[in-house]
Amino acid sequence: MTSRIREWLEVRIGLDELVRSQLTDYRVPRNINLFYTLGMVAFAAFLLQVATGILLLIYYIPDDKDAFESVRLIMNQVPYGWLFREMHVVGSNLMVAVLLLHVSSVFFFGAYKKPRELTWVVGALLLLTTFAFCLSGYLLPWSQLSFWATTIVTTIPTAFPWVGDFAANLIRGGDKVSGVTLNRFFALHVGLLPFLLLGLFAVHVFLVRRIGISAPPLGTEEERPWLTFRHEDHPDGLPFYPYFVSLEAVMIALYFVVMFFIIAFVPALFLPQDSLTPADPLNTPEHIRPEWYFRAPYEMLKLIPNRFLGIALQVVLVAIFILWPFLDLSRKHNLLKRPLLLACFLGTIVVWIGLSIWGSY
Amino acid sequence: MNRRRFLKALASLLGLTALGAFAYPLLRLLSPIEAAVRAKINVTFPKGEIPVGSYKDFLMGGTPAILINRGTPGFVALSRVCTHLGCLVRYDKDRQVLICPCHAGTFDLRGNVISGPPPKPLERFSVSVMGDNVVVG
Amino acid sequence: MRYLLPLLLFFALLSPAQGAWTDVFHKEFFHPEKPRVEKEVCLVCHDSDLIKPQYRAIPAEWRKSWHYRNDVSCQNCHGGDPNDAAKAMLPASGFVGTPKPKDVPKFCGKCHLGIMQNYLESGHGKALMATGKGPNCVTCHGAHDIKKANIDLINEKLCSTCHTYERAKVMKASLMLTEEKINQLDAGLKTLRAGLISTGDEEKDLFRTQAEYRTLFHTVDVTLVKDKTEEFNQRLAAIQVGVQKGFQELRFRQNFAVFIMLLFLGLALTLFFLSRKSE
Repeated sequence: MTSRIREWLEVRIGLDELVRSQLTDYRVPRNINLFYTLGMVAFAAFLLQVATGILLLIYYIPDDKDAFESVRLIMNQVPYGWLFREMHVVGSNLMVAVLLLHVSSVFFFGAYKKPRELTWVVGALLLLTTFAFCLSGYLLPWSQLSFWATTIVTTIPTAFPWVGDFAANLIRGGDKVSGVTLNRFFALHVGLLPFLLLGLFAVHVFLVRRIGISAPPLGTEEERPWLTFRHEDHPDGLPFYPYFVSLEAVMIALYFVVMFFIIAFVPALFLPQDSLTPADPLNTPEHIRPEWYFRAPYEMLKLIPNRFLGIALQVVLVAIFILWPFLDLSRKHNLLKRPLLLACFLGTIVVWIGLSIWGSY
Repeated sequence: MNRRRFLKALASLLGLTALGAFAYPLLRLLSPIEAAVRAKINVTFPKGEIPVGSYKDFLMGGTPAILINRGTPGFVALSRVCTHLGCLVRYDKDRQVLICPCHAGTFDLRGNVISGPPPKPLERFSVSVMGDNVVVG
Repeated sequence: MRYLLPLLLFFALLSPAQGAWTDVFHKEFFHPEKPRVEKEVCLVCHDSDLIKPQYRAIPAEWRKSWHYRNDVSCQNCHGGDPNDAAKAMLPASGFVGTPKPKDVPKFCGKCHLGIMQNYLESGHGKALMATGKGPNCVTCHGAHDIKKANIDLINEKLCSTCHTYERAKVMKASLMLTEEKINQLDAGLKTLRAGLISTGDEEKDLFRTQAEYRTLFHTVDVTLVKDKTEEFNQRLAAIQVGVQKGFQELRFRQNFAVFIMLLFLGLALTLFFLSRKSE
């Protein structure tokens, strides 16, 4: 039966050649490791967000009068609404965690270097798009936490002279967060960002495939003159299908395990008390903090005693992040052979974690 | 049955079960929700039982409620559950208001908050006069 | 590369001005609203060293109170104009000042109507109104440092001021079981909330039952309390049913999630072994 379908497709689209070139003859380096699957895991996480998001969309009401109550109904009255809502909340946090690991491992393996600079830049834009998803999605339940965390973040652009206030008003749809902001963020979250992310993702995957997978440099070094385009082959590597695909499948299954561990045992991990109270513009809760992935930048802002300087610094850091392949021109891929950069890399991670923990108090 | 076939079969079984474990909730979520069982609860009183200016305490599907004859503006039926913390409001005939004994939340006879801590108006039930009877709900 | 190190060093040298900056930061980024109760003009004098030493501690006590947490301000109890210093303490603005002991029940009864009514009909209330001597609200609950009411306000020290502790002991004993049940249900509802189960109706029912029960106590009539206890216990039993349903739902959700987690764990292991063979 399946062979008959295969023959039917073969005659029409040349299925065999497609499978061979894209899956079985496509080879990955022998010394590939788990970290290489993280990109795919992140994309699977994104698809899960879209699927659960669409289900929530059936019952969610994007208006400041009804939003909170509609979420409460999803959690308590809609059959299994709680399941998909919690998957969406936990998934959004796990996706960011996976992405941060993915970025760190790409950095560690020097996979952003020539000829892969563009892949990194597109990847950085993907990360920023994901953060935009997080920001816009956070407001939608219209809880105290949503409202006040968004108030802080949307006030940040006002630090810039001249354009700051205009930018903040544009984002918020007014001079403070209100139902108008909710409408905008909803349109962004559901209408614009998914397509932006998918577009960037398509370019990202195209680049990875076109240029070829980089081999982990811990051991092998590759030096060659850069005169013409050459797709990076691994003729003695392992077939992408079934080897790497099954590795990705294992990692995706583990992603689900972590997600459901959290849903089963600590369902309120990402939903503290303030997220269970409806938004009250007249009443600021005592401890407003952004979500964990924004805590380090938030704490950094609190430490620098000048608003403009603090934000300008963050913009500079983001620019450095996006343009890193153009700043690090060393040809050495192996990070372990570059002690200074390795120290900075580890130092950044430590500082990030430190600031995040500090920002939790 | 060699090891590979066993593992493949196991993977298929687990995969299908996982799919089913999501398919069932998905189906339930997409199916129309049974209309909230606030069904057709009606409570009827003879008009004569409640002369102008007086009231009647009753239960509206489990919720303590009050029916007041306001005279010219007609009958009104409101939930007695104060929207602050849940105490039952009492009718003050002299001031023509409903007051909560817990923190003095005060409502007018349409259920709107006049003063005090309550955040929302009292829930209101529909009232109709059919012949000699007053029907609530 | 050359930028990263100096930047990291910059952050490592934490600014000593951080403390003051945090306040400025909050003002700049939050514009948090000062709580309404802190904006009243009364505090300008009463929370400063202008005021006599014997009154100096009052705002601090009030800030620790349950009233403060629930947005009850100076003006809410003492009247007067909360915005205009000139009119703040004029009788014409409704200012009543410090109530005399006999006026305390009416003072607190402005809001706590139900309790005032029961109190005035009680032995305590009658004694106070007739003789000017007797326990009023402040005797047990304090004036500004008012804490959330609990059964240990009935204690030997307080209740043997005028008579033996015996009768208070009997009263406390008859209240004890019901109070414990209420606390149990309250804890149950808290757990449900933490498990993201909505409990709005049960919470209102419980608060109402507890409020009515405590109001009843103020009659200090042990016979009445004992009579009504059965009725209250029935109401609590009904709430208990709702809470149990909530726990059932919580357990179901947990079991469902664990089931899916184990499924995927099995899947991950199976796929892992499968992938190894295909090398």
